[in-house]
Amino acid sequence: MAEILVYGAVISAIYAMLAVGFTLIFGVARILNLAHGSFYALGAYGVYALTADAHLPLFLAAAVAVLLVALFGVAVERVLVRPLRRSTLAVLMITLAVALMVEQVLLLIFGSEARNVPSMVNATFDVMGADVSGQRLLALSGAIAILSALWFFMQRTRLGAAILAISQDAEAAQYMGIPSDRIFSLVMGLSAGIAAAAGVLVAPFQTVIPGMGLLPLVKAFAIVVVGGLGSIVGSIVGALLLGYTETIIAFKISIEWSQIVSVAAVLLTLILRPAGFFGKRAAF
Amino acid sequence: MSEHRTDWLGALVVLVALALVPAILGSSYITGIMTVALCFAMWAASWDFMSGLTGRENFGHSLFIGAGAYTAGFLNVNFGASPWWSLAASPLVAVAFSLVIGFPTLRLRGPYFALAMLSGAAVMQSLTIIFSEYTGGQDGLNGLFPFFDSELTQYYLTLFFLAATVTTLRLVANSPWGTILRAIRGDEASCQAAGINVTFYKIASLMISAAFAGLGGALYAHYQLQVGPDLFAVILSINIIIMVYVGGMGSIYGPVGGAILLILLTEALRAFSEYRLWVYTLILMLILFFLPQGLVAPLWRRLRTIAQ
Amino acid sequence: MKALLAVDGLNKRFGGLQAVKDVSFALEPGSITGVLGPNGAGKTTLFNLLTGFMAADTGKVEFDDEPLLGLAPYRIVNRGLARTFQLTRPFVGMSVLENVEVACFAPRVRHEGHARARAHAMLEHVGLAPKAASLVDVLPYGDLRRLEIARALATRPKLLLLDEPFAGLGSSEIQPLADLIRELHRKEGLTILIIEHKLRELMQLAHEVIAMDFGEVVATGVPAEIVRHPRVVEAYIGKAEIGESGGALGAA
Repeated sequence: MAEILVYGAVISAIYAMLAVGFTLIFGVARILNLAHGSFYALGAYGVYALTADAHLPLFLAAAVAVLLVALFGVAVERVLVRPLRRSTLAVLMITLAVALMVEQVLLLIFGSEARNVPSMVNATFDVMGADVSGQRLLALSGAIAILSALWFFMQRTRLGAAILAISQDAEAAQYMGIPSDRIFSLVMGLSAGIAAAAGVLVAPFQTVIPGMGLLPLVKAFAIVVVGGLGSIVGSIVGALLLGYTETIIAFKISIEWSQIVSVAAVLLTLILRPAGFFGKRAAF
Repeated sequence: MSEHRTDWLGALVVLVALALVPAILGSSYITGIMTVALCFAMWAASWDFMSGLTGRENFGHSLFIGAGAYTAGFLNVNFGASPWWSLAASPLVAVAFSLVIGFPTLRLRGPYFALAMLSGAAVMQSLTIIFSEYTGGQDGLNGLFPFFDSELTQYYLTLFFLAATVTTLRLVANSPWGTILRAIRGDEASCQAAGINVTFYKIASLMISAAFAGLGGALYAHYQLQVGPDLFAVILSINIIIMVYVGGMGSIYGPVGGAILLILLTEALRAFSEYRLWVYTLILMLILFFLPQGLVAPLWRRLRTIAQ
Repeated sequence: MKALLAVDGLNKRFGGLQAVKDVSFALEPGSITGVLGPNGAGKTTLFNLLTGFMAADTGKVEFDDEPLLGLAPYRIVNRGLARTFQLTRPFVGMSVLENVEVACFAPRVRHEGHARARAHAMLEHVGLAPKAASLVDVLPYGDLRRLEIARALATRPKLLLLDEPFAGLGSSEIQPLADLIRELHRKEGLTILIIEHKLRELMQLAHEVIAMDFGEVVATGVPAEIVRHPRVVEAYIGKAEIGESGGALGAA
């Protein structure tokens, strides 16, 4: 019982980090980013390379990895997505190409076998009678800290207000003189950085392989559909729902079965409530 | 000569060429590759029929391919049915899958359909592992029977079904149905205002697309004599999409050319097989930025103008 | 005479904004009725509710004695209530003829030759026949407006809803389009409902005008009465249209 509570919280927090960035860049720039999972994989590999190969201290490596991936996200938006933005199809395809490219680069450099990233915290803690590794607790608190910071940024700063304004009505925002091009880059960087941070936090207890970005993309999509495309609160609630359902099924039935949850959730939500449970606009 | 007549003539020339190449070369290696290429051509053409015409990108075509292939596998291996049954059963099962995903998602605008297909295929792949008792897990189902013992006859069977597929899809695409599907790509709200039941046409076109993908899956399964979880893989769907982009979206025949070209290229690059996806990705990027109309279909249009 | 369209107590709210508030009116068959009001008065929302593109919160709409609300947009079209869009929405990448042909395939696909012939007739009707083969992507704006009307006509409507048909047109294009609308009314016996926020064009065409402001019907009557109605004057005060309307009245 306690295990479910804690493990569910960890996985939900990580899912929330992935889903928030995915929904943010869609809500703001209408970019459906199939490369979102790549940012997560790059974060994990980044921290691996910077510690194992460049011998940076772990926490510095983590920060550098997140920063580099955020910059990569900005570059992807500027160089590849922006020229094609008129066509949603082309945007989908170019982000897909980026996802493929990242996976290939990782495969080329690191090979297909799983890599081990050292834990940032080695101790194991007793939480309500369950043994939980310190790294999982760190992942949980890191995720909460990052999401709170994002919340503060969106609610309390002018820039955050501008981002919210654009996500609600891009055209109106343009009239108000908010430079959306720059905001798009910023949000892409933010979204990539948060995904990378998720990758960094889970790297020590997840299998780090080049294709590790695909399932998180599927999960992020499922969460965002359940929560409502473009809604930040919705994606956090969706992450909790999906994270806990998966954990309960993983503990009570089997890990494999927990993978079905996301698709079942997507189909059920779309049948029952297409706009998602926190979506503002009707989806059709 | 009218455009249509030139098109049919061109198709006939290609068909004869495809029929002659393996017979003349007489190499079982080439015949094998060409059989695979024709299966991919069928998948690319069926993808293009729905997604190319209506503009709704399907990122999980492998869902239908895998469903078709595994249906063939179950019938043949577990129930000992003759391979010919697969030709009817596989498309039917694929159509059933298309309804499950298409019905909730195609009513909606937005990216739901693209992503639901992607997730559906990814989950089916993991389901084949979960139910490894029945599906053979990672090893898949082995020991399927071929349609014919002769590789060449098997190739001609595949060619026959490819020709039938392309002919059917082209005929529908050039009929009022095709006009409606292209209108949906143009503007869904306007379609509604023109009195068109948009959801019906989208779902129906997905069902047709799924049926031919499932058929291709069955042909592939009874050629490889094995089905595995990779047939549901997202990367298979992506390869098909790249083939369609190379061929030229919305033309049906273009993707057939794109598929054959890329499969042959893959074989030519066998020595560098770990770079294969690199090449594919690079081609995709180049096409997106420099040849948004693709390669094969515009080439044919130019040839056609010269011929006339 | 029995009303062709009867709207009763229609409401639509977007969050805190009451876009359409308790709107009721009836249209006689064979009439041309105008919906007048400043931008944001709820005219287009009203059209979207009538045509099923948006779901109403409450209210009743009867068309030919049958309830309309809750039907999918395409079903409403097939009952004989067609619309055009304020911003023209052609099927890009298709020819002018094909654009109209699509509407000839509703409610179900019929013989292609017949559909093509009918589409041609519709283009003839709106004066676009010479451009039937050209790609819609290169059509000038005025022609796109005519195309919208041709497409709506191809669905064999009894009632035609025109959403600001004159918006964005140059002064030389307005008169011919007004003539076309009048001709459609006269020759086909079509009932027409036009949204317009410019008084001048509306006054020329409409037999009756429904004036809206803040989502409500503020006045109904013949054009000459409506422009003198205090609520209408109030809604238009300080707006450029008041000068225009004075001119229009003088001219009329």
